[in-house]
Amino acid sequence: MLRTLVALAGVLLLPACGEGRQSVLNPSGRDALLLYDLALVMFVGALVLWLLVGGLFVYVTRINPREMSRGLAEGLIVGGGVLFPVVLLGGLLVYSLPLMQAPREAGEGMRVHITAEQWWWRVEYELPDGSRVTSANELRLPVGQRTGLVLNAHRVIHAFWVPALGGKADMIPGRETYLSFLPESAGTYRGQCAEFCGASHALMAFETVVMEPEDFEAWLAAEARDATPPQTQEATRGAQVFAREGCGSCHTVRGTQAVGQVGPDLTHMGSRVSLGAGILGVTPPDFANWIAHTETLKPEVAMPSYDHLSPDDLTALAAYLGGLQ
Amino acid sequence: MTRPAPLPVAEGPYPPTEEMLNAPVPPEEQERGKAELRAAWKTPEGWRYFSAVNNTEVGVWYALTAFGFMLLAGLLALAMRVQLAFPGMTFLDADRFNQFFTMHGSAMMFLFAVPMFEAISILLLPAFLGARDMPFPRLSAYGYWCFLIGGCFVLGSLLFDAGPKAGWFMYPPLATEEEGVGPDIWLLGLSFIEVASIAAAVELIVGALKCRPPGMRVNIMPLYAWYVMVVGGMILFAFPPLIAGDFLFELQRSFDWPFFDPERGGDPILWQHLFWIFGHPEVYIVFLPSIAIAAMIVPTVARRPIVGYSWIVLSAVGTGFLSFGLWVHHMFTTGLPQMSLAFFSAASEAVVIPTGIQLFAFIATLMVGRVRMSLPMLWIAGALAIFVAGGLTGVMLAIVPFNWAAHDTYFVVAHLHYTLFGGMVFPVIAGVYYFYPFFAKKLLSERLGRWSFWLIFTGFNVTFLPMHLTGLMGMPRRVFTYPESSGWGTLNLVSTIGAFVVAAGFAVFVYDLLRPKSRQGQIPRNPWDAGTLEFSHDVPEEAWGVRSVPYITSRYPLWDQPKLVERMDAGRYYLPDAPDHQRETVVTSVIDAKPIYVQRVTGPAWITIWAAIFTGGAFIFPTFHIYKPAIVCGAFAIVCVLYWLWTSTARPPRDEMREAGLGLRLPTYTSGPDAVGWWGMWITMLGDATAFASIVFGFFFYWTARPDFLPAGTDHAIGTWVAAAALLGVLAWAATLLAREVNRRGNVMLARLALGLAPLSAAAAAATAWLAVRDLDPVSHVYPAILWALMVWLVVHLCAGIVMQCYCLAGSLFGKVTPRHDADLRNVTLYWHFMALKVLVTAALLGLVPGWLP
Amino acid sequence: MTEITENEDAHEFRSEAVSLWRITFAPLIWAVHFAACYGATALVCAKDGAVDGLRLGIGIGTGVALVAIVWLGWQAWQQWDLVRDRDWENDQGTGEDRHQFLGHAAFLLAVISFIGVSYVALPALLIGTCR
Repeated sequence: MLRTLVALAGVLLLPACGEGRQSVLNPSGRDALLLYDLALVMFVGALVLWLLVGGLFVYVTRINPREMSRGLAEGLIVGGGVLFPVVLLGGLLVYSLPLMQAPREAGEGMRVHITAEQWWWRVEYELPDGSRVTSANELRLPVGQRTGLVLNAHRVIHAFWVPALGGKADMIPGRETYLSFLPESAGTYRGQCAEFCGASHALMAFETVVMEPEDFEAWLAAEARDATPPQTQEATRGAQVFAREGCGSCHTVRGTQAVGQVGPDLTHMGSRVSLGAGILGVTPPDFANWIAHTETLKPEVAMPSYDHLSPDDLTALAAYLGGLQ
Repeated sequence: MTRPAPLPVAEGPYPPTEEMLNAPVPPEEQERGKAELRAAWKTPEGWRYFSAVNNTEVGVWYALTAFGFMLLAGLLALAMRVQLAFPGMTFLDADRFNQFFTMHGSAMMFLFAVPMFEAISILLLPAFLGARDMPFPRLSAYGYWCFLIGGCFVLGSLLFDAGPKAGWFMYPPLATEEEGVGPDIWLLGLSFIEVASIAAAVELIVGALKCRPPGMRVNIMPLYAWYVMVVGGMILFAFPPLIAGDFLFELQRSFDWPFFDPERGGDPILWQHLFWIFGHPEVYIVFLPSIAIAAMIVPTVARRPIVGYSWIVLSAVGTGFLSFGLWVHHMFTTGLPQMSLAFFSAASEAVVIPTGIQLFAFIATLMVGRVRMSLPMLWIAGALAIFVAGGLTGVMLAIVPFNWAAHDTYFVVAHLHYTLFGGMVFPVIAGVYYFYPFFAKKLLSERLGRWSFWLIFTGFNVTFLPMHLTGLMGMPRRVFTYPESSGWGTLNLVSTIGAFVVAAGFAVFVYDLLRPKSRQGQIPRNPWDAGTLEFSHDVPEEAWGVRSVPYITSRYPLWDQPKLVERMDAGRYYLPDAPDHQRETVVTSVIDAKPIYVQRVTGPAWITIWAAIFTGGAFIFPTFHIYKPAIVCGAFAIVCVLYWLWTSTARPPRDEMREAGLGLRLPTYTSGPDAVGWWGMWITMLGDATAFASIVFGFFFYWTARPDFLPAGTDHAIGTWVAAAALLGVLAWAATLLAREVNRRGNVMLARLALGLAPLSAAAAAATAWLAVRDLDPVSHVYPAILWALMVWLVVHLCAGIVMQCYCLAGSLFGKVTPRHDADLRNVTLYWHFMALKVLVTAALLGLVPGWLP
Repeated sequence: MTEITENEDAHEFRSEAVSLWRITFAPLIWAVHFAACYGATALVCAKDGAVDGLRLGIGIGTGVALVAIVWLGWQAWQQWDLVRDRDWENDQGTGEDRHQFLGHAAFLLAVISFIGVSYVALPALLIGTCR
């Protein structure tokens, strides 16, 4: 019976398991895997209980509606209402409560400080010497290490969530919350803000790239370096447009005059996998589209739409930003 | 000076014997009684109809209004479902979508679910209890008009594109920083309705405790009355924390006092605590009365008394308590210590047990009976199927690690709609089908009813069952759009289709409800063969409710007391006439329902509408930061309420005793704990004390949660003035108490003197409390701000206390309060007992506690 | 039949008023225990983090609460008087049934409160950290 139900649950959940980089049903971190088991146990249990209660109801009202004894009825209240749930729920608590400890543990890996802004993510990797490497809207993690995430928010409450790697935690102004992930296989997983945070709450996502430890070390070393100077003529002109339009008063491109702190750090923008906090790709047309139509693509965002730029300027800017590898 | 004679008490034979009950009532007596009652209870006609206050009128208006608001909120949901049908839709923009989901949740909770409970209870409770009306009919009418004005104001904001858009739980800082008047509309509009809800709760508790028919002891009262008592109590302890939160929130919005601003020592988490201390019991406040409807329907369907009456009482009371230990399960992701989370996880699992007992008691009743599957029972069956599913996902969500995954996703959206449709919407619709013959004296269509059931039931599951999966596949709630790559498109489209099927079902239901039924003819008086008193009402309808108030000895009097209806109709029981042409109902003792006195019940009036309009002004003007007209409106509202109290409550009667029938003579006036007014005051004060306690909780919350509380080198309140305020406040209390005591002993002059001094002392207390904190700057940090908030709260209550003392003084001067008729004075003294407590606690927090804190 | 003014059962009424309150005593103990556990944890975790002392305190508090609930439950059981008259329902409109009904309700609430207090103590047993 139970096996059939598990199979049935499997059939129900299977189509979901195959797809989706933002799914609890596609776990890839230690905590998410444990959670998946817990969820499966509870689902099967819930289904069985629902069928039992529903079946009992149908039995007493339809299949066998004749009068039954009072003792039986009172026994049902005592057994079904008290004894059975007390044991079952007690067992569930004992099983599940200890499961919440792991995601709060510090772990042996690095610490990453993530601050939520409206509507993007400021990401800072803490190096062993205490210095920080700043990035944005993308999280990179090594496989097999428990990495600690120190979460903060600026202005309003957000929530940090990568379903494939673990649970979520709120990001609250004036408070620090903590979460840790232990990814078990390399891949790219999507995360999204889960606590309503204003007009563009729906458009506040990011990619988590889980890498083999040596790849990660190489990436982090590259990320710590200053920006690559423009390589092509087009890109050089883009850098000029960038400076002329005052982009540097909000954005930082390390190694240049641009040191603004209001918006996301763009030092290695070209090497990221998404744009605009997980809502666009990183092809040159995506850059041009984003810069010209920011306010349409992301309502009420702080950055204005640069729709006065000529197509040539936009192309040049896209080449510059795409070249920031 | 002679001590005045005590007030008379009930005299005569009680309980009635079979012989007395068998004695026939002469026909001319019967006719006289009928004519008198008909005159006294006549519903006003024409445009005066809206001055009616009778529970059958106000209850129906209330229910229809709440239902109308629900349909509007449902339309908002349909618009949102269209927007989400496909990825990247542009049917609604982000701003409008956010206004819609905020309003959908707020309206369903504050304008439908809770008011619907109040509406149904106002409509039905007196009938279940064989009472003629609620104890304070004008209060229900006032509550209704407040609700109507507030509801139209809040919902109307959408038409001006000015609606709140931070979600129905209005988390700061998002909501405190939001521009425009949206959050103010939400806060003030809904505070206004919360006040009306508390008023209704007070009335319902007093109704269930004191207005039962003679003989209906606590062990045989209808289960619905037990639930009303529990839910009323829950409202009393759950709504005030939200009102306190609203108070702090609006102080921040209007005057920039930084309660939720972390930069200046505030903390946004405090709001979450206060909101969910309200918000979780709220779920049960909505669920319990609806399940109470099931508790009335199930025995009728099974044709057997309920099995496990005591078990259901246990489950109602137990759920009432446990539901206050669940609130943090809405905050599992806020980073509280694991152990704290686990307490709430455990309590959330514990509450499953009483809820389960409740459902098993219904199944047990169906087991011992021979079930007749009527239309109401079909809806109850649907409710059971849906609610059990919602309960089981609730068990999952209470498990912390699972909650970390499912929180704020569509899984939660699915869960909460399963609990609310199963726990509220379906049972309420079952109740509409079951009680329609009672309040409309017509029957609804069996065929249309089945159509609407299957449409809503199927549509509901098509809409919400896939959402469990959508949520686990990563879709957060409250998103106005989603990318195609997410893979959520198909499931969302299915949900949208389902939502339109639900809408079709509701359309059928509304049509059935409103279509003309004049050709139906006269229906039977008790069409379901129910056993409880509401189906003893006359068909065609008579406004008097019960022809005479029966003597009850069974849980199902219509089944077990054979000649009951016949005797009621003959006017054999109590209050079969109205010799003074006044509306009256019997007030009985709390436990054994022994008759105590006859309560004069108020009749039609316009003053309630005026009071509601001015109260509305006092709440609505500040939304737009217009304060002077608001103050004027507030003053007029107070004048209206005072006028209504002065002219129609606790007037010394012309005849002190009244022949109540069956040889019993009952007094027409009483004061102190026997009187319903005293209970009303006592219960209101419990709620008020809870709100005050919530602000005190805020003070200690800041202390535990914030390292910069108290800020280094801060100024404190001035000790001398604090001490003076405490002393003067206590003096005002002592003077009030003295006035009550000497007045009772007949020394009217001394009582008047004390009542003259008391308000002066209270006013001085208010002034010194203000002086104590005057030099602190509430904008600079949360510490001075919370001291100011405590001071403001205290001063407002002192002012109310002063008005009451002056009311009693005027009463004494103009003959409304005499040594024997001192109900007003006793109620006001009760207010001042609580006032003294508030004065002392506030003084301790202002003057002593900051020095003690490490 | 008696004259209502005689008030011969005023004394009984007064003791019964206590038993109406008494049905809430056990859940009140649950509420106090719950609030104490939550408050103490919030305080200890915010201020000094002495978790072991906290767990011990919760253990002792739980023991006291459970004993009190068992005692209340025993009293209520006697008031219910099931063993003597085998009356489960107490559904007659008599003083005796009302008295026993209140005992029954108080007994059942004691059972629920016992379960509630035990559940709420589980975290102190299973979790030993403030993190």
